[in-house]
Amino acid sequence: MKITKQDLKNISLLSKIKIDEERSASLIEDLESILTMVNKMDELDTSKVNPLTHPIENTQTLREDIEKKDIEREKLQELSKEKDSGFYLTPKVIE
Amino acid sequence: MSELINLSLTDQIHGLADKSFSSREIADAYLDEIKKKKSLNCYISVFEEESKENALLADENIAQNKVRPLEGIPIAHKDIFCIKDKKTTCGSKMLSSFISPYSSEVFTKLDNAGAITIGKTNMDEFAMGSSNETSFYGNVLNPINEKLSPGGSSGGSAAAVRANLCSFATATDTGGSIRQPASFCGVTGIKPTYGRVSRWGMIAFASSLDQAGIIAKNAKDAAVALKYMSGFDQKDSTSLNEEVKDFQKEVDADQEHVIGIPKELIENMKNDQVRDSFKNAISILEKDGAKIEEINLPHIEYSLPAYYVIAPAECSANLARYDGIRFGHRSESVSSLEDLYVNSRTEGFGREVKNRIFIGTFCLSTGYYDAFYNKALKIRNLIKRDFDEAFKKVTSIAMPTCSNSSFELGSISDPVEMYEQDIYTIPANLAGLPALSIPSGKVNEMPIGLQLIGNYLDEGKILNLANKFQKLTDFHEFK
Repeated sequence: MKITKQDLKNISLLSKIKIDEERSASLIEDLESILTMVNKMDELDTSKVNPLTHPIENTQTLREDIEKKDIEREKLQELSKEKDSGFYLTPKVIE
Repeated sequence: MSELINLSLTDQIHGLADKSFSSREIADAYLDEIKKKKSLNCYISVFEEESKENALLADENIAQNKVRPLEGIPIAHKDIFCIKDKKTTCGSKMLSSFISPYSSEVFTKLDNAGAITIGKTNMDEFAMGSSNETSFYGNVLNPINEKLSPGGSSGGSAAAVRANLCSFATATDTGGSIRQPASFCGVTGIKPTYGRVSRWGMIAFASSLDQAGIIAKNAKDAAVALKYMSGFDQKDSTSLNEEVKDFQKEVDADQEHVIGIPKELIENMKNDQVRDSFKNAISILEKDGAKIEEINLPHIEYSLPAYYVIAPAECSANLARYDGIRFGHRSESVSSLEDLYVNSRTEGFGREVKNRIFIGTFCLSTGYYDAFYNKALKIRNLIKRDFDEAFKKVTSIAMPTCSNSSFELGSISDPVEMYEQDIYTIPANLAGLPALSIPSGKVNEMPIGLQLIGNYLDEGKILNLANKFQKLTDFHEFK
């Protein structure tokens, strides 16, 4: 399977990770080698098989809707470098 | 008191109960050993003072006969498990300053059982790796031969157990991350049934595959540790609301075994030494009374390709949360919101994690979703059906844990060659089955493991078989 420079641009855009020009060639090589291995799947006819998203068929368990205070908001926000009055701060998005 | 660190968990529990030694003495002995063997790089954090204080508290409890099951036993947690107010890095620059605001259920359960957390072990970044070389904190060395890899991603936990730096260690297994390092370091590692142990507070890699387990000196110790870490948890929507059997009793019970051998897979193995060693291990169990049945797992060869679509797809979604805003690494060089996302992620993730995010992103993108992701899920179903069929006539399935013993650090640069490390361990993750690895011989003077896969919720059965093997052999003894 061939990966083009355009594919790399799309992947970079979607994953929000920069791909340096000097890394492009070796990355294409890595990705192509992984996808070639993955293409072995094509040997199998799976047209009559259902996809299995999860190994265990388990009914979603629900708990009583009671408020818990296991994690405090202030403690969570301490983890952010930029915050103010309970809000998280990002660079300006509206001019 | 250095002999205390050589004792098994069960002997330590008995010794503490009959007051042959104190928890403080064991903790001090481990802490001394950790200092002596710092160069192995097993730990990302060590809680020296706190461990000593907790050991004294445990000794007080023992003196007052208020003894919990793991009272005063020093253990290590893989640095993927959140512990409140402690650094939890997941082996990544992204989380290198992350102080967890809450504790994982695994930590809480073992803590409530009386265990003392002596430190947090090194690991491949976000559990993505099979050699420990992707850790932001540098790789762990294999204690048996320091030029070699301890395996990954739970290499820190496996090496810490092997080097006598803790009584046992927690670990996680998405595609073999408990069993492969256990095989490389000559220790016992078990990944229970998917859902048996809560994933709450365990940093996610691929949520439908990730499962927490134990690395210990032997099957008996693993059974005791697993017993106290298993159980239903409301906070994990995939947790199984099933009774946890008493693995500690089961491991020693008189049980009959029918072991399934996937003949074709064994005959197709490239490494004769590994195959011969495997056959020798099976003949030991057969002589002891286990019945051997040939089985067929026709789709198992498609496990690796299916896994390397499903795991990266889930990883790309899970790791989307690292945006530089709420927690984790935040880039300093930022002029727009887009910059904040892109620069934080580009600086915070290492090469292998990026590779997996790229693969996952590609496989889930328009035009490729059906060809890759959906196809892989269908193959996952076929693999599960193969196992369901096999378990109609056998009580466990045996195969080697790895295709070889440990390799030299830095010797594998091709990603596919590295991924092939997990070729025999991945199938159990895709099907969600319990599986363990026990030392079963040596190849190139390094240990290799025998893998035993059990039916759903049948951890006790494979632990029992592993314990039988360890009663008949001494491969698990540290010499």
